[in-house]
Amino acid sequence: MGDWSGYLTLILQGAWVTIKLTLMGSALALVVAFVAGLGRISRRAALRWLSTAYIEFFRGTSIFVQLFWIYFVLPMTGLWAPTPMQAGVLALGLNVGAYGAEVVRGAILAVPRDQYEACIAVNLTRFQRMRHVILPQALPLMLPTFGNNAIELLKATSVVSLISLADMTFQAQVVRSQTGNTLLPFVTILVLYFAMSSVLSLAIRSYERRVTRGLDGVR
Amino acid sequence: MDQPIIRIQNLRKSFGTLTVIDGLDFDVMKGEKLALIGPSGSGKTTILRILMTLEDISGGRIEVCGEPLYHMTKNGAEVPADEAHLHKMRRHIGMVFQHFNLFPHKSVLQNIAMAPILTKGEKRPDAERRARELLDMVGLADKADYMPSQLSGGQKQRVAIARALALQPQIMLFDEVTSALDPELVEEVLEVMKRLANETDMTMLLVTHEMGFAHDFADRVLFFDKGRIVEQGPPDQIFTAPQEDRTKSFLRKIIAAGQRV
Repeated sequence: MGDWSGYLTLILQGAWVTIKLTLMGSALALVVAFVAGLGRISRRAALRWLSTAYIEFFRGTSIFVQLFWIYFVLPMTGLWAPTPMQAGVLALGLNVGAYGAEVVRGAILAVPRDQYEACIAVNLTRFQRMRHVILPQALPLMLPTFGNNAIELLKATSVVSLISLADMTFQAQVVRSQTGNTLLPFVTILVLYFAMSSVLSLAIRSYERRVTRGLDGVR
Repeated sequence: MDQPIIRIQNLRKSFGTLTVIDGLDFDVMKGEKLALIGPSGSGKTTILRILMTLEDISGGRIEVCGEPLYHMTKNGAEVPADEAHLHKMRRHIGMVFQHFNLFPHKSVLQNIAMAPILTKGEKRPDAERRARELLDMVGLADKADYMPSQLSGGQKQRVAIARALALQPQIMLFDEVTSALDPELVEEVLEVMKRLANETDMTMLLVTHEMGFAHDFADRVLFFDKGRIVEQGPPDQIFTAPQEDRTKSFLRKIIAAGQRV
């Protein structure tokens, strides 16, 4: 067990990959969630249809299969052969983004009609209404669920071990097969996953406190 | 004779199979103070909402400041107005709502200054200075940095009036602005409106259940029932010598409920 520090380094390298996947995947998911969420309530039927198709497809199929399609099937078209990291970020972002889109849509629709009417009465344009009145009130409604989605995404990152990307779970498997010790690597990654998700929920909760300031007594 | 600032011709509005306004015609002159009264469901609030472009119309025609509100000319033909046309027309009109509809995430000052900055391109310091003047006018100079949730109903409504005034519309619509207030807060809002009516030449349309206030405030009273004007005239005539039976029975009920007319 003298090499344990070397194995720990291996797992920490994996942890770094997991963190990168989580951050980039969440960033992509956030962008996609807003685009598809706004698309679903667009006045243009084509945009609504496209967004709905995307959301239903990515919620309705497994992230595992989506990852395989992106990594193994997409290159067969000759268009693009993503690296494992690119494939992982894409699959995670698109999958979680589909859930996020519904959150965005729901939160926007939850802002009272009164507020839209006040915007019209002070003659804001459609864009200004969204930007200055509706989204600032919808955002606090989205954050708790976004927090859940980000943690789901963190935990889902382990699927990339299946396309041999050396994330934390992958490295734990490596350590296990090299040392024959199952308990230590898996206790280590259990603790690390939990620590990461704790940091995520703390960060989101403190942001939530910031954006809801002044809205107390309103909801 | 001046052109009317609002001209409504054969206006119709239905929600599904329910017709709320049925072939309505009336003009409003510039600077006129109009009170719209009548039983619930008589279509008076709908008229204000239509003028604010919060509802579409089912038929007829409205002109505001000499231009059609819901129509525009395109290649020589008159077609339904698009969003850009409505946006242009809304500059003439402001509205105060029954439930205030303040922006809860913005301070009192921002509530008032936001629209002039965004829609008229006013500089922030100028817009905020004017917002403070308006707050002073409605008696809330010390509340500029409060959030709406920290205000009483009467204070919220006065902020909402200041917000509408900040855009300097030629026409102001007041939709049952005291109906959601506790009785002891009604007076402070009416006070502000009375001053506005006396000190400005803004055209004002008021939907109200406060008959006493309508009497003092209005140059002309329109009594509505079932989406039509039953009777109209100067307040003294409508409130003390109504001609139509519908008006008489409506006013009898109001007086029986203990209101001054």
